[in-house]
Amino acid sequence: MEMIWMSLLLLVLLLTLLGAGLWVAFSLTAIGCISLYFFSNVPVGDSLSTAFYSASVSWELAALPMFIWMGEVLFRSRLSEEMFSGISPWVGKVPGKLLHTNILGCGIFAAISGSSAATAATIGKMSIPELTRRGYNKNQILGTLAGSATLGLLIPPSIILIVYGVATEQSIARLFVAGILPGIMLMLLFSGYVMMWSLLNPDGIPAGEAEHLSFRAKLRRSRPLIPVMLLIIGVIGSIYGGLASPTESAAVGVALAHFLSWKGGSMSRDTFISGLMGTVKTSSMIAFILMGAHFLTTSMAFTGIPRELATWINTLDLSPNMLLLALTLFFILLGCFLDGISVVVLTTSVILPMVQAAGIDPLWFGIYLVIVVEMSQITPPVGFNLFVIQGLTGENILRIAWAALPYFLLILSAVVLITLFPAIVTYLPSQMGR
Amino acid sequence: MRRALDAFYRLGGALSAINLTLIMVMIVAQVLSRVLDELLTWLGLSPLGLNVPGLAELAAFMLLGATFFGLAYTFWQGGHIRVTLLLQRLPQSAHRIMDILALLSAVAITAFAAWHSAWLTWDSYDFGDLSIGMVPVPLWIPQAAMVMGLLWLLVALLDALVSLLSGRIAKLHDEAPQE
Repeated sequence: MEMIWMSLLLLVLLLTLLGAGLWVAFSLTAIGCISLYFFSNVPVGDSLSTAFYSASVSWELAALPMFIWMGEVLFRSRLSEEMFSGISPWVGKVPGKLLHTNILGCGIFAAISGSSAATAATIGKMSIPELTRRGYNKNQILGTLAGSATLGLLIPPSIILIVYGVATEQSIARLFVAGILPGIMLMLLFSGYVMMWSLLNPDGIPAGEAEHLSFRAKLRRSRPLIPVMLLIIGVIGSIYGGLASPTESAAVGVALAHFLSWKGGSMSRDTFISGLMGTVKTSSMIAFILMGAHFLTTSMAFTGIPRELATWINTLDLSPNMLLLALTLFFILLGCFLDGISVVVLTTSVILPMVQAAGIDPLWFGIYLVIVVEMSQITPPVGFNLFVIQGLTGENILRIAWAALPYFLLILSAVVLITLFPAIVTYLPSQMGR
Repeated sequence: MRRALDAFYRLGGALSAINLTLIMVMIVAQVLSRVLDELLTWLGLSPLGLNVPGLAELAAFMLLGATFFGLAYTFWQGGHIRVTLLLQRLPQSAHRIMDILALLSAVAITAFAAWHSAWLTWDSYDFGDLSIGMVPVPLWIPQAAMVMGLLWLLVALLDALVSLLSGRIAKLHDEAPQE
């Protein structure tokens, strides 16, 4: 029982440091130092330097800057401007019409960038003015954007899944593959909801939009998108087929992204340097957090807290579903003020042993965690994506949260679905070679 | 002084960028040579076997360089994330005090980490520790990069602290140049 109070104390201390504005990486390191110093006999400094070192030398982790770089390059190419005109010819006749450009655009861009804030900002910048001008229902514009932008976390290559894989020593390739079906499922749920909504509310959708284009004309419109789609499919496909490790396919992806950007005429010395320096910033930031998290994980193991917690949870005789329910509530709470990556590294330090003791597959748990984190990004009244869209439109945050509520519920139902049918997550990885 | 410091952080960022570029180029070269070999085998010719031994380890060490050399640059650019939700609701003076406290903690942690990393490096040098792999690398080399990166970050943190205390800037990253 003493352990429970100890861990609660550490948790409160950590949340205090985070809330007080200490950088996430430093907060994690500080709690690691405190727990080692007070609750173990291990020399703090030696463990700190060893943990920082071993967390930074990693071949698997090299996939992280490479995928970030690939996204930075494509982000700076003209791709994002062409997203809208490339997708719109295909959805003109589907109920809900151009609202689907938000969902598909976010889906494609999510695969490129792996960050939901960047996805919301990029797609929203084009689609909000365009859809508003054409007279679409404002709530649906904001809702589809807020909801679909969270796909950035799940659709591979996902930065947050690399973080989870490195922190828990799970195969990144398998995690990526596991994210494919749930990602598609979420897009289908969103699109299905938009179709139903627009059939029930025909005045929310402007009439007479459909352009009659032949198949070839449509293809011509979306030609700028095709190389990028092929690039993404190639990257994911070579990982799935076991042709290349995630790090290798990411590095090749960077080279090809530069080539595409150069062919599209948007590569210059300036865009090269700003893409590269943007990568330095993001990857140093995440790697630093991972170092802090790795140190916290080893410190926690020395104090024995995760083990004790796992035993404690076992004595409670919770069913795995009850445990997941409790965790879901906890993560939604954390997600109100923490970004996704911080939530994930916190979880892996303390909660994973407990989860494994309850008999939950860590691969499945990774996907579950990412979907819950997605949800927490649009939880009313606070959430990261809501802030981004607020910045983009100047709308009241509560109104955006209200518009995003159906999508929040859809993501929640996706969590229920993968819990009832774990095969949605585990089927594709089980089909992989080796 | 100001310009020298800014250039100092830019230098760290540039070193980090060079490491990332080298990782990318090395891996792409490796993949290309593998594809070429498969092609040659398929054509019935003998493969060239242009393998870079220990590439994975080398890339891992360079990743360490990329991370640590980039730390100070990232801080200077305001790239390290923290929760500002509560800070933003505070009055300016309280915000400044919280920033100073956060910086003091960060300085303490970074100095502590740098000091112990320096000892780790010295021990590796003293014992002649080598990496276990195809190409044995003396471990003190990457570890020294780690110490340098932490010291680099320490300079950036102290710089920000002094700027805040002296009132040269009112808030952190008030003057962070966008690059």
